[in-house]
Amino acid sequence: MDFEFSPEEKKFKQEVHQFFQSEPELCAGFMEEWHGGEGFGPKTWALLRKLGEKHWLTPTWPKKYGGLDLPYVYYCIIQEEMSYWIGLYACIGTAMAGPVILKCGTEEQKDFYLPRIARGEIEFCLGYSEPQAGSDLANLQLRAEDKGDYYLLNGQKTFNTRCHFAQYHWLAARTSSEGPKYRGISLFIVDLKTPGISITPLMTFSGERTNDVFYDDVKVPKSSLVGEPGMGFYYIMEALAYERVTPVGAYQRLFEQLLEYIKESGKGSDPVIRQKIAQLAIELEVCKLFTLNVVSAQSKGIIPVYEANAAKIFITETEQRLANTVVNIFGLRGQLQRDSKWNVLNGMFEFIYRQSLTELIMRGTSEILRNVIAQRGLGLKRR
Amino acid sequence: MNLDLSEEQEMLKKTARDFLEQECPRSLVREMEQGEKGYSPELWRKMAELGWMGLVFPEEYSGMSGNFVDLIILLGEMGRALVPGPFIPTVVSSGLPIFHHGTEEQKGNFLPEIASGELIMTLALTEPSTRFDESGTEAKAQHQFTNYSISGTKLFVPYAYVADWIICVARAEEGITLFLVPAKSPGINLTVLKTIASDKQFEVVFDDVKVPTANVLGKVGDGWKIIKQIEEWSALAWCGYEVGSLQRVLEMTVSYANERIQFERPIGSFQVIQHKCADMLMDIDGARFLTYQAAWKVSQGLAASMEISMAKAWTGEASRRVCLSGHQIHAGIGLFTDYDMELYFRRAKAMELAFGEGDFHREIIAQQLGL
Ligand SMILES: Cc1cc2nc3c(=O)[nH]c(=O)nc-3n(C[C@H](O)[C@H](O)[C@H](O)COP(=O)(O)OP(=O)(O)OC[C@H]3O[C@@H](n4cnc5c(N)ncnc54)[C@H](O)[C@@H]3O)c2cc1C
Repeated sequence: MDFEFSPEEKKFKQEVHQFFQSEPELCAGFMEEWHGGEGFGPKTWALLRKLGEKHWLTPTWPKKYGGLDLPYVYYCIIQEEMSYWIGLYACIGTAMAGPVILKCGTEEQKDFYLPRIARGEIEFCLGYSEPQAGSDLANLQLRAEDKGDYYLLNGQKTFNTRCHFAQYHWLAARTSSEGPKYRGISLFIVDLKTPGISITPLMTFSGERTNDVFYDDVKVPKSSLVGEPGMGFYYIMEALAYERVTPVGAYQRLFEQLLEYIKESGKGSDPVIRQKIAQLAIELEVCKLFTLNVVSAQSKGIIPVYEANAAKIFITETEQRLANTVVNIFGLRGQLQRDSKWNVLNGMFEFIYRQSLTELIMRGTSEILRNVIAQRGLGLKRR
Repeated sequence: MNLDLSEEQEMLKKTARDFLEQECPRSLVREMEQGEKGYSPELWRKMAELGWMGLVFPEEYSGMSGNFVDLIILLGEMGRALVPGPFIPTVVSSGLPIFHHGTEEQKGNFLPEIASGELIMTLALTEPSTRFDESGTEAKAQHQFTNYSISGTKLFVPYAYVADWIICVARAEEGITLFLVPAKSPGINLTVLKTIASDKQFEVVFDDVKVPTANVLGKVGDGWKIIKQIEEWSALAWCGYEVGSLQRVLEMTVSYANERIQFERPIGSFQVIQHKCADMLMDIDGARFLTYQAAWKVSQGLAASMEISMAKAWTGEASRRVCLSGHQIHAGIGLFTDYDMELYFRRAKAMELAFGEGDFHREIIAQQLGL
């Protein structure tokens, strides 16, 4: 048992920390773009390329695809630092599409996509959800017909974030309507410039853009298929387990800023506030430990399904509580937004109070994840 | 970074679980609630034979040189089986401070006897104010030639009736001081308190109890530093015990939910029940990780005050939530004393209160954060 990183790992963490510290302009530019809601802009791409040059976007990948062949824990260290400094901790390409391509892709797919993902040149967007397929993902209807030398795609995706700036759609489509629903799903990589695709914006009330994506007689080459036909659902589930690693660096930073504010404003002598802050500290510590537990399991090559779900639920619910507690500590001024006169800490917690709702829904709702914990983690019967 | 137990630790855990499943059935736990002593001397002896009382002491004192993580593992298994008795008061609240602050002579006298199971000890700290801070100690210790005379009223002294020695905390002229007092000294008066967990906590009145100056533990007037350590170690020990208890509560609850049929289906297939169980699991995992992290820090000699307070605040409150859900899912049957749920529910409250509940520990955390 060891709750700390090894000396080499600590040294590496320090190196990553110093990198971000030495790039205040890029970080600030990134945050501006990211919190502006539009996603990746020029500053984000510039930062990703810098990270790519260091091979830090994909440190666990083989060297020939742009990785460093490092153990999993190094990836988590980078994610924690990214989360701490810029809030974003993973790209779809690096965290979800890439690992599946690495495992199940053809040699051509690996050579074509992986090095560019590693260099921070391309991004993917997730094409899972549809109007009738949210939590019940297996119900997706977008059709992919095998036309001999190409696939023909028709249908609609919804809530597909990042599609307006990503180059590739990581698309789940129905290739068969026979047998159980989840057995007829296949995964494709689609160039978003392909004729017949149209993307229209959807804005959340915290100002984040996501999209509807329409496929109208879109022809894609047979080589777009990832892995085996009909296996898409399994790949998605495996990749989801990876995506549920939730770093807590961003929350730790918020907490540090909050603590500083409390000390400076003199509110720290109020016994009620002391209790609230201490409770947040405890919950953030539990978040950190849940994450370490997932990292510890993944370092051994185990995919910790229930543990990753528990971490995702607890961390996202803590974020909401954190924002709520802080907004209430600020009192009436807690409602003031980013650009308002009299706001506190630049309205950051007001923003997070809204934005944290997304986290409770994306990547599996808290309810769906509790089902998984109960049924797969604890063995409760389904019926 | 690795949260796994070592092979030896896995062995310790397995041995303890197998042994206690055999030797400490819930019927024994209930019997001990009724009896006067509150523990089974036979079980105590067997636990000592396994080396448990000496687990954390070095070999020179007949111990096994284990660390605090080992202790937490063992306590988890004891909590799972609800082992009644003065283990924490003897080993953690008394043995550890003697080991860290006792004279060579005191260590030589007490530790091997604790390790062999011959000696039961307890701590007389809390007073009617029930404060855990320094101001809570009003008992007086007056220096008279080669003796001290101790007078005062102590509450919530665990297992005082079966203890051979009591560590009594009192105010000497120089300040707070710890005294090693033979439990059968003249002037000591015991009254058992009727507690929620029937766990043999006592009022102990010291009326002009004479103790030789050689029985001071640590330095005269400098006792509060030791008390803070004892409070931390003991709080953490209770967390370890409770984590084991809660794990058992969850297992009982899940298996009951899978067996109990209503509306032609196992109640465990109802989502509201599933989600309660998922929340129980998260509460327990949180408690376990916080407890192990704190224990690991202690074992490495690192500062752990904040981590211990986090563990205690969370575990105490989680234990209430977990036991409540367990009860709700067992419903009617869980309320009866031929079912185990209520044993865990009552003990969870005792544990939550011992060595500080959530608000108390959150205040410590606030101080540690620099507020
Ligand atoms: C900002 C944002 C960005 C997103 N980005 C993407 C993206 O990039 N790509 C993508 O594919 N998707 C994306 N999503 C979609 C997201 O994955 C879905 O919103 C999510 O899976 C839930 O689906 P739903 O919204 O249709 O809710 P529904 O599935 O309709 O759920 C409604 C309610 O019913 C509950 N519920 C449903 N089924 C069960 C059940 N079996 N047991 C108990 N309760 C149940 C849910 O928990 C929820 O409370 C995004 C969503 C948002 C909000």
